[in-house]
Amino acid sequence: MSQTHPDRDTGDFGPDLGEVFGPNQADGGPELVQLLTPEGERVEHPDFRFDLDDEAIKGFYRDMVLTRRIDTEATALQRHGELGIWAQLLGQEAAQIGSGRALRPQDFVFPTYREHGVAYTRGIDPLRLLGLFRGVDQGGWDPNDGNFGLYTIVIGAQTLHATGYAMGLQRDGVVGTGDADRDAAVVAYFGDGASSQGDVNESFIFAASYNAPVVFFCQNNQWAISEPIERQTRIPLYQRALGFGFPGVRVDGNDVLATYAVSKAALQRAREGQGPTLVEAYTYRMGAHTTTDDPTRYRLSEDLEHWKLKDPIQRVRVYLTRNGLVDQDFFDEIDQEAETLGEHLREGCKALPEPHVLDVFDMVYAEGSPELDVQREGFAAYLDSFETAGGSR
Amino acid sequence: MNEYKLPDVGEGLTEAEIVTWKVKVGDVIKVNDIVVEIETAKSLVELPSPYAGTIQALLVPEGETIPVGTPIIRIGEAGEAPGEPTPSTESDPYLGMAEKAGAQASAPPAEIDMSNPAATGGGENQTLVGYGPRESAAKRRPRRGGASPASDAGAAAQLQLQGAFAPGGAASADVVEAEETPVPSTPAAHLDGPVPTRVLAKPPVRKLAKDLGVDLLSLTPSGPQGTVTREDVQAAAGSPAAPAGGAAAVAPVSAPRAPGERETREPIKGVRKMMAQAMVDSAFTSPHVTEWITVDATRTMKLVERLKAHRDFRDVKISPLLILAKAALLAMKRTPEINAAWDDAAQEVVFKHYVNLGIAAATPRGLVVPNVKDADAMSLPDLGRAINDLTKVARDGKTQPAEMAGGTFTITNVGVFGVDAGTPIINPGESAILCFGAVRKQPWVTGNGKIKVRDITTLALSFDHRLIDGEKGSRFLADVAAVLEDPANALLH
Amino acid sequence: MSKITLAKGLNAGLRKAMEDDSKVLVMGEDVGKLGGVFRITDGLQKDFGEDRVIDSPLAESGILGTAVGLAMRGYRPVCEIQFDGFVYPAYDQIVSQVAKIHFRSQGKVKMPIVIRIPFGGGIGAVEHHSESPEAQFAHTPGLKVVACSNPVDGYWMIQQAIKCDDPVVFLEPKRQYHADKAELDETVQPQPLFTSRVVREGTDLTLLAYGPMVKTCMASAEAAAGDGQSIEVIDLRTLSPLDLGPVFESVRKTGRAVVTHEAHVNLGMGSEVAARITEECFYSLEAPVLRVGGFDTPYPPSRIEEEWLPDLDRVLDAVDRSLAY
Repeated sequence: MSQTHPDRDTGDFGPDLGEVFGPNQADGGPELVQLLTPEGERVEHPDFRFDLDDEAIKGFYRDMVLTRRIDTEATALQRHGELGIWAQLLGQEAAQIGSGRALRPQDFVFPTYREHGVAYTRGIDPLRLLGLFRGVDQGGWDPNDGNFGLYTIVIGAQTLHATGYAMGLQRDGVVGTGDADRDAAVVAYFGDGASSQGDVNESFIFAASYNAPVVFFCQNNQWAISEPIERQTRIPLYQRALGFGFPGVRVDGNDVLATYAVSKAALQRAREGQGPTLVEAYTYRMGAHTTTDDPTRYRLSEDLEHWKLKDPIQRVRVYLTRNGLVDQDFFDEIDQEAETLGEHLREGCKALPEPHVLDVFDMVYAEGSPELDVQREGFAAYLDSFETAGGSR
Repeated sequence: MNEYKLPDVGEGLTEAEIVTWKVKVGDVIKVNDIVVEIETAKSLVELPSPYAGTIQALLVPEGETIPVGTPIIRIGEAGEAPGEPTPSTESDPYLGMAEKAGAQASAPPAEIDMSNPAATGGGENQTLVGYGPRESAAKRRPRRGGASPASDAGAAAQLQLQGAFAPGGAASADVVEAEETPVPSTPAAHLDGPVPTRVLAKPPVRKLAKDLGVDLLSLTPSGPQGTVTREDVQAAAGSPAAPAGGAAAVAPVSAPRAPGERETREPIKGVRKMMAQAMVDSAFTSPHVTEWITVDATRTMKLVERLKAHRDFRDVKISPLLILAKAALLAMKRTPEINAAWDDAAQEVVFKHYVNLGIAAATPRGLVVPNVKDADAMSLPDLGRAINDLTKVARDGKTQPAEMAGGTFTITNVGVFGVDAGTPIINPGESAILCFGAVRKQPWVTGNGKIKVRDITTLALSFDHRLIDGEKGSRFLADVAAVLEDPANALLH
Repeated sequence: MSKITLAKGLNAGLRKAMEDDSKVLVMGEDVGKLGGVFRITDGLQKDFGEDRVIDSPLAESGILGTAVGLAMRGYRPVCEIQFDGFVYPAYDQIVSQVAKIHFRSQGKVKMPIVIRIPFGGGIGAVEHHSESPEAQFAHTPGLKVVACSNPVDGYWMIQQAIKCDDPVVFLEPKRQYHADKAELDETVQPQPLFTSRVVREGTDLTLLAYGPMVKTCMASAEAAAGDGQSIEVIDLRTLSPLDLGPVFESVRKTGRAVVTHEAHVNLGMGSEVAARITEECFYSLEAPVLRVGGFDTPYPPSRIEEEWLPDLDRVLDAVDRSLAY
């Protein structure tokens, strides 16, 4: 394939983009949109600015602490034997809270299985998230409550659903009307690993082709289980958008002010009918892929130490403290709230109702199936033929 | 009081080693404080406590490997605490991490380092998702109605497991009189020789035969490729009985084979396989000893003739088997080991104060051993009736699992096949089996030195040498033989 | 009343569905201006606009994946897969998403998506244009699968499928598209979608077919009648759920059944139908249930496809074998 033809002149293909940009320049490279430094200092950006007040920042701090508590509590519940598995978001709180808080009620979210923080911003009781991981359901919330879709486990599949939903918004006439309470957009969450999936690339094509009001929000946490970002891309992910014909932005995913500002702008663009945007939230998966992963097998602890210095919660805490915006009571109250939330999850998890095996027959079809009815009836009679109820758990 | 059991942390974990306790008895802990570090297949995992309170006991010492589900720590009410719990002031694990040089004895919940496999990770042999594999029970759950196993297949398997005679040999056992023909309904698993094929018949013909009570095996097929036709079944249903054939009648229909085919292979499966396993288990767990005795049974045969005329036996079909059964029941009073069982698990011999007398029967379903419950308590006519009933039910293929369960001693009647003796295999769970050979007219040297034609038979007894020694086995066999020789000897018992 | 082809019947049915419900969308490759490569959607974009008749990028997963999102937004997408062999890029979306979202959401989210697939061979096409993938979808819980065999069914069944709140894989026998015409009387009420139908009565043997094989089986029955064999033909019409009540009734009468399809016989629809007949009609069977179908090879080059495909003689060969028992 790469044979050289001695009688042919070598064409000029320009610079190797991979060499020029690289997928993973330290700290995100010069294009990184940042409004709050890891040291807790606010900085300006020519294109994006944070337009909310300090009260909002205090709210974001609270959101992130509670989100982290959801994550740590669920991790502990897995260790208690109450959950089969848990997908951790540690380190991605700012990416999720910033983008989630930029949503309007009429917007719709298509998550992966790690968007616990976004779910929180949509008013989903975090307890509902546990059902899937406990094995009592496969998604315990109604997607139409809070406009938050069910977790999608097949990587990237939901980006097409988001695009289709956005096409539906266009057909419903709720894009670009100028009515802020009416115009709606869709966010498709996905990760750096998913960017390699055909579905993600097809969703880029469909969204671009139909100018669909969708924001592709990629949390580049650098790791697809054990595979580093270099295995997925040779150029920064946000630059891929250009090839599909819409803008891409790389934002500091650990900076909640920046993720909010960039998400808000991208969402507004979509609602106004200007089409899709790719937002690459440049962050780091500080935890394992899930509770059953072992990151020490594939990554260096010094990387983790480097990213700990960029922790999304700590920089806001420093900002609030240094500027005298809060006192110790503020932190104590939030910690107490986190305690209460933790208890809610612990107690609620154990109280989640167990599913009944016969119920599976009723959920397959909206209009039922006579064949399934027969199977259900037969299985019910079979179960009933035993002297004791079944189940080995 | 709460006990924290070693959790299955979702990696197919079945056991773990307790590496380091992070708490000690008397410590007051909060929920999610790290209490212990365990090591699974390849990595260290810190376990947060599901309970708050005072540590009452550490139930497993460091260095010990224990299965999932083992209680590892006991935690009492917080009120029992020697000191007040220290309130958490941190909710930010980053801060915790930054300060955390080493593992802290009592880390607040948010300080679980989720990037650290000691807190979060699994090992390489572990599954990526889920609770991991579960052990499932290896025994049946009881069904309503008491029938267990409930399925026909299960029952058939159980029938086979009751088999008491060596498989594969020419001899099978049957209590059926020589002039009677068993009425097989399905040739599921004959023990003898080349395994027969099923009768060839279309499903509707099978249904017709079933409805009319016609045994397809008894018919001569007249259809194409040797199939039984509707007409064959209807003709048979019209005729009163299948032809008599003695031993030949129970011989299986031999498998049709293509011309020139020198071998036919039949897979060993289903009930045949299970029966074989039961026989192998019996043969290789209990050391078998077999003894023979040749007996002059002339007086027994005369007694049988006399009893046939007796009014108490009007409705009873009398055979020498009945006298033999009675003789055995009487003889085992003197040698109770014959009616005992070896309980290897308990290392005890179980003496049975009742006799459930098994009669090995060759039936269309294969070898079955139904037993007469409490046979020792029966009068001779009742015992005769019970044996008759049991063999008829067996012949009809309707023996229920319960009728085969709980046997204590077995008689196998190979004489109906015209053979003299064999080395029977003990029915599993029993200690002895008595084999009744053919009764033949033979020259016999009488007590006074004359040669006369007498009714001679052979008895063989296989017994479990673990609990029956040669003396006891011989005594029992001789006692039985004595009764056959002169039924009056029964009065001695 | 008018005489129409299957293509016209489907076209008219789609048009009627779009008129009846403004949420019905048609989407796929070349379905707009061109009217589809088989012209099934001919004229629809002109009348209903580009928002409702959507020419999609050439990406089948994209078509089905966006249809999922549109369905979640309340639309009823009718997706055209251009050829049977092109459905596989969409397989993940169909099997893992379309089929499971209702289940995953415990009934809170419905997936009223119709996936139209022209299927079967006999048109002299190149590779990937003549396949019969129906068993793969019938094997997937959460999907419903139907196959039309004639113009009148095409007209009604497409409308019924669009009205169904469950995802329906809708198989169209492409070689029949422009073949035979039939009288369409719109005043005659159609039978329910998920039901089979006896299309020819007989007493000696039950011949089962769907899609393109219905025509072949009708011709076979006609030929057999000349030999004094009375053959009942049933158009299965629905492959998931199967409607086997009429089949069992028929087999209990005839005692013999032959199942036919163009798809490979190994683990095909015929295998399932044969198993079910054996379970339900065992004592009625005068012969084993036989299957006639494609061989377990990839679809062959078109110059030999007519030999490879089950035809009248192959069907009658099986009929004779069955009757010989």
